[in-house]
Amino acid sequence: MLEFKGLTKQFNSTVAVKPATFTIPDGQMVGIIGRSGAGKSTLLRMINRLNEPSGGQMLFQGRDITALKGRELRQWRNECAMVFQQFNLVGRLNVLTNVMSGRLFHHGFASSMMGIFTAKERAFAIRALDRLGMAHVALQQTDTLSGGQMQRVAIARALVQEPRIMLADEPIASLDPLNAKVVMDALRAINREDGLTVICNLHTLDTARQYCDRIIGMQDGVIVFDGTPKDLTDRAAREIYGAEAEEAFSEAMTSTALRPQPVAQPEARVVN
Amino acid sequence: MASVTTNGQDRDPVSLFETHRRQMIRDRMVVNITLGVAFLGFLLWSLWISRFTPDRLATGLPRIFEYFGSVMPTLQWDVLFDGRNEAGRFPPGSIGYWYNDFWKYMRLIWETILMALTATILGTGLAVALSFIAARNCAPFPWAGVLARRFLEFCRGVPEILFALVLVFAVGIGPLAGVLAITIHATGALGKLFSEVNENASMRPVDGIKAVGGSWFEQMRYGVLPQVLPNFTSYALWRFEINVRASAVVGFVGAGGIGAELSHTISFYSDDRVTAVLLLVVLTVTAIDLLSERARHSLIGKESLK
Repeated sequence: MLEFKGLTKQFNSTVAVKPATFTIPDGQMVGIIGRSGAGKSTLLRMINRLNEPSGGQMLFQGRDITALKGRELRQWRNECAMVFQQFNLVGRLNVLTNVMSGRLFHHGFASSMMGIFTAKERAFAIRALDRLGMAHVALQQTDTLSGGQMQRVAIARALVQEPRIMLADEPIASLDPLNAKVVMDALRAINREDGLTVICNLHTLDTARQYCDRIIGMQDGVIVFDGTPKDLTDRAAREIYGAEAEEAFSEAMTSTALRPQPVAQPEARVVN
Repeated sequence: MASVTTNGQDRDPVSLFETHRRQMIRDRMVVNITLGVAFLGFLLWSLWISRFTPDRLATGLPRIFEYFGSVMPTLQWDVLFDGRNEAGRFPPGSIGYWYNDFWKYMRLIWETILMALTATILGTGLAVALSFIAARNCAPFPWAGVLARRFLEFCRGVPEILFALVLVFAVGIGPLAGVLAITIHATGALGKLFSEVNENASMRPVDGIKAVGGSWFEQMRYGVLPQVLPNFTSYALWRFEINVRASAVVGFVGAGGIGAELSHTISFYSDDRVTAVLLLVVLTVTAIDLLSERARHSLIGKESLK
């Protein structure tokens, strides 16, 4: 269980996230929606402390996350993996090394500096890649891949961390609709099969409605909506998006062209 | 709508623009004239200090050629390629006579190249380590970055020859002093270049490694190093060229290499032995420049294909 107690973030004079208090139970798939600049990214990046909170508290299974330092902080980052909009892979390394870098926390100084990974780690990384249908490019240089392929590699890197929470910061914003569907299906499969909590920033309403158990709407750093997709009426959505409503709805329409398959039969390539 | 002008003065935008433009040109002219006068002043001052006058130039220039004339070898075509005679000596006028100490020179030139190589490897290693601390976007703590940058400035600010002079006192005459002196200077120069390369690296992979729980060392090793490695290699090769030239010079103060021999021939003989050494130095430096340029271009070429 991840508890937020008045968590807030201030950049100089602007408040990016006003004190937020809510709880995310284990195994939930949560979508955070809102117009750009609403504070979604800041909120998500505070969870793994890539952004330092200015105030408030965050608890995971009763442990205070906001107070962690040094090795304990790195351990927490290892426990809650993150997937980024721009993938944040190391383009000049091969795919396998990128995926194995998800194990770096468990490495000593010498083995990580020399880039030595064990056969077990290689096997683990290949299995994760295979689960996302990417094992065939394992030895290719990463920057030769397409955006959709890179995001799947990034998810594989997150998986080898053996995380308890998966954070996804606009994971499909740089992808075409087909790849967006593949990536979202993968995240949902991870959520359902591995029981991981998935917290996902999304800008398309429709995706949030179709994939998430719970939707949190943000506006100007304030949580203005928190409920199930069913509760999110068009009127409520319009309120969240304000002036950008038309844009959000039309973007949502483009992605409805590709309906996700039923949860019971996930796509073959994302099954073990 | 009565007027489309937005300057609130109801003036024609064209005339307003022209007024601004004239004002700007006038301002710029004042700056240019001031700078021009200042430049001219400093030029005259420096000419006066160095007593750079046409008559001194006219009397001095021919002496340069005079000196080179005195250290030119006297070669005679008929004996040019002759070997040693019965007495075991080369006949005067032959290449063998001119380059009597050829193998000694070669040994010293080889020593010079090895000195440069060692200094380049050591300097590159230190510069890589320091460049991550000195780069503004990578520094683990701001004060560490400031400290590293100041240290690198000191290292490259002091000329090699000065370091060599001091180190000859510390570790004695010989190549070790030269290697250390060039290493320090190369560390300073390369560290600066490397840290600038680091500052241009994308921070996205670094964020990625940070998010998996990687330490600062791991963020640098996996997030930054793969991006900057080709540039580092190219700069290190270029530095090797410079270090070869530098290690030919540090010998003048006793820090090993061919420089000592060159200084010796100049101050003791000033005959054809000076040109013999000088020619070998020039040839070596040129050859290494060409080779390393080839290597650098092939590196850059490979990069641009990707």
